[in-house]
Amino acid sequence: MHLDDADGALDSWARFCSLSGELVGGAGDLSVGPRLAPVVADLCARGLATLVRDYFLHNLEETFRNNAVKMFWQKFHPYCNSSAVERIKFCVQESWPEDVLSIALEDICLEKSYQEKCVLVLVHVLQSYEEKTENKLKTVEFSSSLMPRYQLMVSSVLLTTLPLSFPEILNIYFKKKLEELNTMMDGSDETDLACHELFGRSKVSAWDSKMDIDGQETVISESGNLVRNIGKVVRDLRCLGFTSMTEDSYSSAIIWLLKSKVYELAGDDYRIPVLGRVKKWIQAVPLQFLHSLLAYLGDSVDYESGLSGLKSPLASRPSSFPGIGVPSEALLRWHMRLEYFAYETLQDLRIGKLFEIIVDYPESSPAIEDLKQCLEYTGQHSKLVDSFISSLRYRLLTAGASTNDILHQYVSTIKALRSIDPTGVFLEAVGEPIRDYLRGRKDTIKCIVTMLTDGSGGNTNGSGNAGDNLLEELNRDAENQENADYDDHTNIDEKQAWLNSESWEPDPVEADPLKGSRNRRKIDILGLMVSIIGSKDQLVNEYRVMLAEKLLSKSDFDIDSDIRTLELLKIHFGESSMQKCEIMLNDLIDSKRTNSNIKTSLLRTFETVAGQEETEMSHDVLDATIISSNFWPPIQTEDLAVPASVDQMLSDFAKRFHQIKTPRKLLWKKNLGMVKLELQFEDRNMQFTVVPVHAAIVMRFQEKPSWTSKTLATEIGIPVDSLNRRIGFWTSKGVLTESVGPDADDHIFTVVDSMSDVNKNSIVNESCEAFQMTEDEGESSVASVEEQLKKEMTVYEKFIIGMLTNFGNMTLDKIHNTLKMFCAEPSYDKSLQQLQSFLSGLVSDEKLEMRDGLYLLKK
Amino acid sequence: MKVKVLQWHAVASWTWDAQDETCGICRMAFDGCCPDCKFPGDDCTLIWGACNHAFHLHCILKWVNSQTSIPLCPMCRREWQFKG
Repeated sequence: MHLDDADGALDSWARFCSLSGELVGGAGDLSVGPRLAPVVADLCARGLATLVRDYFLHNLEETFRNNAVKMFWQKFHPYCNSSAVERIKFCVQESWPEDVLSIALEDICLEKSYQEKCVLVLVHVLQSYEEKTENKLKTVEFSSSLMPRYQLMVSSVLLTTLPLSFPEILNIYFKKKLEELNTMMDGSDETDLACHELFGRSKVSAWDSKMDIDGQETVISESGNLVRNIGKVVRDLRCLGFTSMTEDSYSSAIIWLLKSKVYELAGDDYRIPVLGRVKKWIQAVPLQFLHSLLAYLGDSVDYESGLSGLKSPLASRPSSFPGIGVPSEALLRWHMRLEYFAYETLQDLRIGKLFEIIVDYPESSPAIEDLKQCLEYTGQHSKLVDSFISSLRYRLLTAGASTNDILHQYVSTIKALRSIDPTGVFLEAVGEPIRDYLRGRKDTIKCIVTMLTDGSGGNTNGSGNAGDNLLEELNRDAENQENADYDDHTNIDEKQAWLNSESWEPDPVEADPLKGSRNRRKIDILGLMVSIIGSKDQLVNEYRVMLAEKLLSKSDFDIDSDIRTLELLKIHFGESSMQKCEIMLNDLIDSKRTNSNIKTSLLRTFETVAGQEETEMSHDVLDATIISSNFWPPIQTEDLAVPASVDQMLSDFAKRFHQIKTPRKLLWKKNLGMVKLELQFEDRNMQFTVVPVHAAIVMRFQEKPSWTSKTLATEIGIPVDSLNRRIGFWTSKGVLTESVGPDADDHIFTVVDSMSDVNKNSIVNESCEAFQMTEDEGESSVASVEEQLKKEMTVYEKFIIGMLTNFGNMTLDKIHNTLKMFCAEPSYDKSLQQLQSFLSGLVSDEKLEMRDGLYLLKK
Repeated sequence: MKVKVLQWHAVASWTWDAQDETCGICRMAFDGCCPDCKFPGDDCTLIWGACNHAFHLHCILKWVNSQTSIPLCPMCRREWQFKG
């Protein structure tokens, strides 16, 4: 029995082997099925079902590996074996991965389907055996597990033999196909209608999966075909077990395409909003593609039924899919995913270029608006802050950037970030480095004041109203804001209050909790500017100096624009702090009145003695700005002997003033003012507007044509070096020439009466070029703030020296506090910074020493 | 060469030319204005008494009006009379 049994078993096994070999190796011949049945039944009866199954699968595997898989990979060999450079050649070929891929897939799928049939034969045999016997459980398990095992075998064989570059090929394939689809869509993009139609049709065709598409609309049929081809490839790939690889490939291709589309649309133009177009494109191309694909694969139904219980919050968003009734869950997810990616890409792109965007801010507001929307969606504000700060440090906060540019960029930054984030939290973070940097610059105050008050300089971009200064703009802003606030507070009824409280939002997480959120409500540009300087007093003081300078160099009394600026400043800084400036302007108005008063009375007096002074200057030419010197910044006076005729005129004027305004007297500041001259030469006339010193110099040359610098200096009453400096103005204009006199440091100046003389003397002129300094235009009539400060601080010098003698060494803070405590007369009212700059002045004068933050007396 | 002056715009400051720097009543500068005024000069004039002491007009008027008996000069205690 035992031996017989073994023989029978061996016999059955041998027959099974040959039959299965015939089945698997046979070219489409399934007729062995019936013959196989008794053998398998016999073997199973002997309990060898596992063996049968394993042998059969092994057989299939060998065949599959040796024939189909080898063939399949061989198709891709040319690409996989080539170098990187040669691969590019492949990619350039129009139909490259498509043809190879579809043929290879077709072949292998054919083979696979045949093998599947073989498996089915065995399954069938096993099932029929199981029907006969009672032992149901075991065989059912065998028959039903056969197919999944086979599938697993196929994919594992393929994956183990997978060439490294196969995913790459897939990627290229999907990229090319999507690009094709994209260009197809671009063609039809002009007519939105076509797009919508396409959606509708592809949906219908997809659901039918028959794809009978109207031949009239070529674009639709083409794209339909395209999607169907892709769908076929995807299905084949899935069937081979490449599901996740395929999904990876086409999603990365879609993402890649989306990215390049965003880059293409956004580019470097910040004047047009692009977000809408990107969104539209997502609807039009990738989503349409995905919809068709998913529908073709029959997935969307599965997803919908399978995952309907799993509602993500994203799905609750109202969807707008033209032509599709209820979009599937999968498609919705894709939509969210793509949109998020688009937002992120655009945001990164814009953040990277934020510096440029802000440079041309008012024009680039569409880009800012886009960025705002993106950030609302992605919430990656901190990325913006970090990247912007680093580009600021790299590009703006360098020694090469002028303070003006930095300030303008700062203002634009404030405006731009204000629209992105009204709470100002991110502005705080971004603004801090700029502010810190600006505090270290000496001319910051000056630039801010110029920016605030000077209309023409306010807009370097040449945009907007050229005559508008920052202050006016700020004022407009403030008015608008106030109006808005006004609305806020008056119209509050209960309902409104409720709505307000409902719309409350917490501060962003990045907010500094130390600063109350109420402070952030309004972003006051002027306030931010002032806080760079430290206090408004400093700003006002600087403004006063600049105003004085401006008023004193005026040759008329036209101050309308200054009055307007002052009024605006008064709104922001309060009337009392602008009091002195107001008096200064008032002086100008008074001067105008007094001038006409005095002039008419003077003219009347001199008409009575007419004829006598015809050759002399008429009093008509004299104007005077009469200032209340107590309210002006300290004025630099310098002795100057003006020509006798002018002097006469001035004293007449002063006498008249004394008569009118008894007992007040006039004190002339002869070095200040403006003089308009006409120089009359033999062959030409020249007009100049100069300061009185220049006028005094040139007028001396009427008396004699040539002066030495020493005698001229004594005549005019100014030091020689100062004269040498000033006279450069006239030599540079070609009015005077300079030659070295008998004394080496005594120069001789001669008037050039005709042009021919100029040419003759030009060589001499050049040789003395180095001597000339034409800085006079920049010379100021008012002591600068620094000089003022130095003057004021000198009072404390002896206190400081005394302190240091007693204590040895002290820190800046301690000196500051001690001065504050003990200096009563004159009381000490300077800031820490002012003290510091004064002390560093003392250090450079070698009176003090500074070591490790300690000040000590120089020994 | 001849120089013709077309316009000479000069700058001058005014002063009350009082002997003292500050007003004896408000301690403000004479060339400034009294604490009640905003603008110096015409709006806030100086006045001299018969004793040759000068004060801001507003200051001395306040002083004179506040005196119950005959007003005296705050500086020299002589009877106050406007110098006219």
